[in-house]
Amino acid sequence: MMENRYIRCPYCGSVNYNKDEVIYCRNCHNKIGSKVEANLHTAWAMLVTAVIFYIIANIYPILVIDKFGVTSQNTIIGGVIALWDEGSYPIALIIFFASVFVPLLKFFLILYILTNYKKPKKGSKKVDQAKLYHFTEIIGPWSMIDVFVVSILATVVHFGNIKITAGIGATAFVLMVFFTMLSAMSIDIRLIKEGASGN
Amino acid sequence: MDENLDNLVICSKCHTVHKKIDLPYKKVAKCAVCGNKLYSDVENAFYKAVSYSVTALILFVVANLYPIIKVYIGSNQSILTIPSMVATLFDENFYVVGSIVLVVIFIAPLSVIFSYLALWVLTYFKIYKNFSKHIISFLMVSRNWAMVDIFGVSILVALVKLFGYAQIQPGVSAYALVLFILVDLIFLKSIKPVELWTYFSRAYDGK
Repeated sequence: MMENRYIRCPYCGSVNYNKDEVIYCRNCHNKIGSKVEANLHTAWAMLVTAVIFYIIANIYPILVIDKFGVTSQNTIIGGVIALWDEGSYPIALIIFFASVFVPLLKFFLILYILTNYKKPKKGSKKVDQAKLYHFTEIIGPWSMIDVFVVSILATVVHFGNIKITAGIGATAFVLMVFFTMLSAMSIDIRLIKEGASGN
Repeated sequence: MDENLDNLVICSKCHTVHKKIDLPYKKVAKCAVCGNKLYSDVENAFYKAVSYSVTALILFVVANLYPIIKVYIGSNQSILTIPSMVATLFDENFYVVGSIVLVVIFIAPLSVIFSYLALWVLTYFKIYKNFSKHIISFLMVSRNWAMVDIFGVSILVALVKLFGYAQIQPGVSAYALVLFILVDLIFLKSIKPVELWTYFSRAYDGK
C-alpha cells in the first residue's frame, strides 16, 4: 500500500512525497500544507467570515429598483419569492439553488470535513470525504449566478425613469463566495486524502 | 523509495494513487476507484488546448468588443458588453463586486489562454524551464477562477427576468460568447494537470 506516501499538489496537480511537515511542491514550489492545525484555523476563519457575509447578504437588498421615482428593494429570498409568484418557476428554482442552497450546502460540507477529520474511519469513508471535497470545489463558483444576474440587470436597465442598481447584499454575497472558495482551498489536502488506496 | 514521481498520478476526485502508463492515441485513463478521468493521450490533449486557445482568444476579443444583448424598454435602448458591465459596477461605487467580476470573467479567462500560448512557445524553444513550471501552476489556479460559463447561464436567467418588460435582441457577441464557452469547457478546462506535466517532461527532458 502506498496511499499515504504521496500527496497531490492542489495548485498544479503534481505528485509529491508526503511528510508530516511543511511540503513545497517539487514542480510549482507552492506550499502544499503548513502545519495541519494552522491550516485548520485558516479554513475555520475563512468559513466563519463567509457565513457572516452570507447572513448580511440575506438581510440586505441585493437589487434596488428605481421605477418612476418609486424605489423597491429585493433581497435574495424576496427575489426568489417574487419570481415564484410571477410563475417563473424554473428561474426561481435556479436562483434558489445557486444563491441559497449551494452556499449552505458548501458551508455544511466544509464544516463536516473540518469537524470529522480526526475521527477514525474506514478507507471507503475517507474516499467519500475526498469526493465531498471535490464536489464542494465544483459547485462553489455556481453561487456567482445571482451576482452576475444583478450586474447584468444593473447594466441594461439604467435609464432616466427606470433604473436597477446592485444593493449592499451583492457586495456581501460576492465576498461570501470568495471566502467560501478560500476556505475550501485552505483545507489541508492531507486531512482528507488518507483513505486513498494505491493501485 | 526512489520511484520516479512523474510516473505516478493521483486522482483529483478521490486521491487514489495510480501508476502512469503510455496510452494509445485517443485513449483515456480513468481512476480505478471512482472512474474520474486521470489523463489522456498527452501530446494530443496539449496541442488541442493550444490550438483552441487561439480560437478562444479570437472569440473572447469579439465577445468583448460587440454587444452581447440589446435591450429595448419603451423608447429606451441599452446594450450589454462585458466592459460596460464592469464599468457600470465601478461607476456605482461597487468596487468589490466590480473587481471580482472583472477577475472571474475577464482576467482569469485571458490568463488561461495566454498561459497555454506562453507554455507552447517556451516548450517549443526549450527555454526558461522553471518559468514554464510557474506557468503551469498559474494556469491551474486561474482556471478555477475563470467563470465565463457561469456568466453565460446568468445572462439567460437575466433575460427571463426581463422578458415581460423588455424587447431583447442578441448581439454579435452572444454567438461569440456561446462558442467561447464551448471551447473553454471542452478543450481548455478539461486538460488534466498530469497531462501538462507529462508534456512538460517530454518537451524539456525527452522523457
